[in-house]
Amino acid sequence: MTNDRIVEIADFIARYLSFMLGAGVHTSRVVRNSKRIGEALGVGVSIYTSQKTATLTVSVPGSSQRDTRVVDIPAYPISFEWNADLSALSWAAFDKKMSLEEIRGRFDEIVSKPKMNPVFVLLMVGLANASFCRLFGGDIWAMLITFTATLIGFFTRQHLTKKKVNHYIVFVISAFVASLCASTALSLGIETAEIALATSVLYLVPGVPLINGVIDITDGHIQIGISRLVNALMLIVCIAIGMSATLMLVKDSLL
Amino acid sequence: MDAFWNSIALYNEATWLWQLVFVVLSAALAIVLWVRPCTWAKIAVKVLMVLESLWIAFVYYMKFCGIREHSNVMTIFWCMVAAAWVYDLATHFSSFQKSGKHVSWGVLMLILPLLYPVFSLIRGMSFPEMTTPMLPSGVALYMLGMLMTFNRKINFFAFIFILHWAFIAISKIRLFNIPEDALLAAACLPAMFIFFGEAAERACAGSSKPSVRAVKTLIFFVVLLIGICMVASYV
Repeated sequence: MTNDRIVEIADFIARYLSFMLGAGVHTSRVVRNSKRIGEALGVGVSIYTSQKTATLTVSVPGSSQRDTRVVDIPAYPISFEWNADLSALSWAAFDKKMSLEEIRGRFDEIVSKPKMNPVFVLLMVGLANASFCRLFGGDIWAMLITFTATLIGFFTRQHLTKKKVNHYIVFVISAFVASLCASTALSLGIETAEIALATSVLYLVPGVPLINGVIDITDGHIQIGISRLVNALMLIVCIAIGMSATLMLVKDSLL
Repeated sequence: MDAFWNSIALYNEATWLWQLVFVVLSAALAIVLWVRPCTWAKIAVKVLMVLESLWIAFVYYMKFCGIREHSNVMTIFWCMVAAAWVYDLATHFSSFQKSGKHVSWGVLMLILPLLYPVFSLIRGMSFPEMTTPMLPSGVALYMLGMLMTFNRKINFFAFIFILHWAFIAISKIRLFNIPEDALLAAACLPAMFIFFGEAAERACAGSSKPSVRAVKTLIFFVVLLIGICMVASYV
């Protein structure tokens, strides 16, 4: 295998793993898939990951040829679609013995698929939070108020994220705005107003980083697992700050 | 419920002249913007929106509704509505230009706040214990009417705040026996369909999924569901 070929393979796998890690896939899956693609192309792959960067070395078995890459992990939105499609790509590459050019072509197709319409996401998040409100015992008025409070909070989040505001600040502001809007239910005197208030910020809970953190730790990727849990914990603290501000303003206490 | 209507009576008795000034000013600016849209008129309308929001926050809720439980929440909420318009003033979020679409809807919505006192009189109420266009729902309806009439590029922040207020108003119809708020409820659902549909179209300028048609269908069903919930809760 020529050195140029190894460089090409290393470049592609670096791109592949940065997209997967950026889209919120847990580390052991990324490592497994990258190694599988490497195996399909006849090279060995060793990977070290951290929260912001990943290092990989591509080597030819039985030879001293190797190439190392250090890549930044971009912050893409969580994408279960990329997770599933890119994992399937690694299996297709392995089973069908695809060439690097074919794999790269399929990869480009997957990552250039159209993005979700933000208005669709906005509505679905609102409906999801209203459903949570119902699950926790909220009545129809509490559900309606949770729905619109979530719309306002999530739209604020989308808008501030587009303006590239620090995401911890985005979480504090979004939690504050959503919970404050939901607290208007208190003035109506409805019985389930507090359920509306509590469920209005659930859309911010960082579920994927929490689950990935636990999976990473149990799979032995302790460092990145702890990094992800600390990141998730910081976001939860931000939600708590935003919600506490509302509670102090509205009820003059945190309970 | 008594506290609710007593606070409205006190508010109307003390501020009817100011309310009249606001109504005349609102109508005049809407006409100027319609006939001769110019930069100063657009800025003046946004300033008026800020002033009306702050009026509702501080004069109506803080001063006259202080006896009501959690009235401070509403004060903060209307301050946030004012903040949405201040943000608009700073960033020129909305253009207040006619697009030629939904004009008749918009004009109808602009007239609806004036029907609040008529509705109250028909119900057998009398001044000062009656609804007026300068109550929160009337102001929300005026804002909605302005957004609908001059809808080339709207302040979506203000719109979703108004939508939230409309849903609160829907619940008040039964909880505080104020059927006048059905006007706002009836206006907010079509507005929701139109504005969310247009936002979905704009967001799809490049390419996105699902298709605009699918998103509009979803919006239609959400609006329908909310309408059914509203009707079902009163039947």
